[in-house]
Amino acid sequence: MRLTICALCLPFVMRIAESGDSRYVSLMDLDTTSIPELTAEELRQLYKLLISTRELDLAAVAWQRQGILPGYAPELGQEAAQVGSAFALDTSRDFAFPTYREMGVALTLGVDMVEYMSTHKASWHGGLYNPVTTRLAPIQAVVGGSVLHAVGWAHGQRLGAADVVRSEDETGGLPAAITYFGDGASSQGDVHEAMNFAGVLKAPVVFFVQNNGWAISLPTEEQVAGGTVAARAAGYGMAAVTVDGNDAPAVVRATRAALKHARSGNGPVLIEAMTYRRGPHSTSDDPGRYRTLDEERRDGGEDPVARLAHLLLESGAADQAFLDNAGAEAKAHTETVREGVQALKPRPGQEMFDYVFAEPTDALKAQARAWREESEHV
Amino acid sequence: MAEISFPLPDLGEGLIEATVLEWLVAPGDQVERNQPLVEVETSKSAVELPSPQAGVVARVYGEAGEKINVGEPLVVFEVPDDTAGIVGTVPQEAPARRRVRLSAVLDED
Amino acid sequence: MEADAPAGTVETMSMQAALNRALAEILAEDPKAVVLGEDVGRLGGVFRITDGLQKQFGADRVFDTPLAESGILGMSVGLAMAGFHPIPEVQFDGFAYPAVNQIITQLARMNYRSRGTMPMPVTLRVPSFGGIRAPEHHGESLEALFAHVPGLKVVSPSSPHQAYHLLKHAAAQPDPVIFMEPKSRYWQKDTVDTGTPGNLHGSQVVREGRHLTLVAWGAMVARCLQVAELAAEDGIEIEVLDLRWLKPIDAEGLAASVSKTRRAVVVHEAPLTAGLGAEVAALITQHCFDTLKAPVERVTGFDVPYPSGDLEDEYIPNIDRILFGIQRVLEYRRG
Repeated sequence: MRLTICALCLPFVMRIAESGDSRYVSLMDLDTTSIPELTAEELRQLYKLLISTRELDLAAVAWQRQGILPGYAPELGQEAAQVGSAFALDTSRDFAFPTYREMGVALTLGVDMVEYMSTHKASWHGGLYNPVTTRLAPIQAVVGGSVLHAVGWAHGQRLGAADVVRSEDETGGLPAAITYFGDGASSQGDVHEAMNFAGVLKAPVVFFVQNNGWAISLPTEEQVAGGTVAARAAGYGMAAVTVDGNDAPAVVRATRAALKHARSGNGPVLIEAMTYRRGPHSTSDDPGRYRTLDEERRDGGEDPVARLAHLLLESGAADQAFLDNAGAEAKAHTETVREGVQALKPRPGQEMFDYVFAEPTDALKAQARAWREESEHV
Repeated sequence: MAEISFPLPDLGEGLIEATVLEWLVAPGDQVERNQPLVEVETSKSAVELPSPQAGVVARVYGEAGEKINVGEPLVVFEVPDDTAGIVGTVPQEAPARRRVRLSAVLDED
Repeated sequence: MEADAPAGTVETMSMQAALNRALAEILAEDPKAVVLGEDVGRLGGVFRITDGLQKQFGADRVFDTPLAESGILGMSVGLAMAGFHPIPEVQFDGFAYPAVNQIITQLARMNYRSRGTMPMPVTLRVPSFGGIRAPEHHGESLEALFAHVPGLKVVSPSSPHQAYHLLKHAAAQPDPVIFMEPKSRYWQKDTVDTGTPGNLHGSQVVREGRHLTLVAWGAMVARCLQVAELAAEDGIEIEVLDLRWLKPIDAEGLAASVSKTRRAVVVHEAPLTAGLGAEVAALITQHCFDTLKAPVERVTGFDVPYPSGDLEDEYIPNIDRILFGIQRVLEYRRG
């Protein structure tokens, strides 16, 4: 278990202790000790999700090379951060807000992966899955763009929660939002506004930062002043935790601790999962222009998938036959997704017009008519 | 298409050559960055060389057992001339296609 | 003029290369010019427009910023106040939106606010428009938004030659210029006469004709040239006017062309309503009302969010839709 309260917050904590001045924000330590270790069954489930994500991610890069997808944003190396955090969610009440690199989150939430991949197939920007039923907001391309949405959604849960009994047990308390963004997005003003709002409103939201070391070509040290996003939580009076983002069970436990905190009405939590973007920013990116293979090996850390496999074997939670079987299932799943993605046809052009308004204007209907008459899709 | 050559890197202090043990890729293969390309042996050890970039292998140099000098070409990659932006594709120039014909009586008043 | 680029050199290059060349020359000739933005330094830009510039001019002149467009534009305003000539890049059209506050409330009116004591010689490069099957917010057309803001100038090149000269020209302006690069045209090669800019003000007739004027800018110029070629097969001689400057709009150039042809169709990728085509139609109507044979027709994108790649060819005006527009104008009879 590698949960640590951000070291940079310590001076603040000490200062409060010394002064006893209540005007200083009170920093809340996450009670991670009460979060139990994962059961063997949970570890096995986690591995299946991790290896499925890995297989699909590698395949998607190959599909782009084969012309099946026009482009893809790989998440190689971030499997534990994504799967682990989503694994802790309760999809009967929680809601996740992704950017465009959260394939592992989608897979863990049970989103149909053909409908998810349709965004990379250029079928529909937000993906074809139903965000309401899957509890995963539409994919969106603006980094940091959905962070404020999570705060709004989470505040809405408080507003509607007059009759929700505040409870610290696993089943009670508020529904929570989790919002995903990266070290690059942390530079955006919207992220500051979101954290400040959430802190002021005590919104039940988990800010999940995947610090993967790179925003396209810019390394974290040139992106994040002070070197850590988690340190900023102190300024918002928000509990924060940094976690080894390549350690899937540790990410699950950190997220469970954060959710428990948020559900209890204690306000937002920031988790900074330290991980590494092992691949390029996108399938058109060439990392050789800004980092060397030696640097990648040095900074990449442990492979999160191999690491969990090792843990399963060491702890006796699973044997090699289980791992082999999970790998085979992941390959089979990926193959099914490929068939589905290849079968995707362009959406009917009429849909361009259908979804602009709930009640289309006459002017737009006229444009749709003109399009039907003048296009080959009559 | 353009070609990018990957010369045999210096694999250790003072080593000037290496022997090809086994090729792990062949011309025509699409390789990804960091994918093992070839196993070579130096006087110190046998190592797998990872690919410095993504691309299609155009040519490889050296049969198994042959020596290659440091700095000489090992692999030549084929990469598109028109590299796309970080997202999106390079549009293909399509010949002008039409269904609509113009017809007009132009009174030249 | 550098020794290795003598006046009058005609070379074939892509718009990418032409823009890169222009930036290198601006940086070499203007010690106050600085290039800033996300990934413009070490990577050389997401479309390679700034490739090699950091190496050549150093990380003080060409620098990577954190991922924050409002920050890039706000910082450019401050650099301009300090006497620099910033050339910021916003990676894609749709990511200019986070910077719109700084562009409108600060960049566009600092000269006015300071009573002319703080001019804003800032050239904002924005890879613009659609056609490359990119994700959301990577295919949008913001010219009407920018043109509506007092204090901004807006220009879009349609060819490598225009890109090279208009960028150098824009960077020499004492006012903020939004430089909209048609990203679907980045890779097509054409000749660039580096020594002969020609007139860089206003619009430019890129094909002469006598029956109808097609008005376009950016990537739509090439499409309109294709249409003109096809129309010629039907006996219709079309003039193609590359508007180039979207603010200020060359009303005289429009009037001169349409006074001759007496018919006009304006083509743009942006949605129809309140698009720049409306401004063009108003100017033509105002200047050519008595001679026009038909109302000005607009062939544009639809009033819908820019669609995903599979549908973008349905959205961007295609050859047939432009021909339909032309046909409506040709058929029009008064009364």
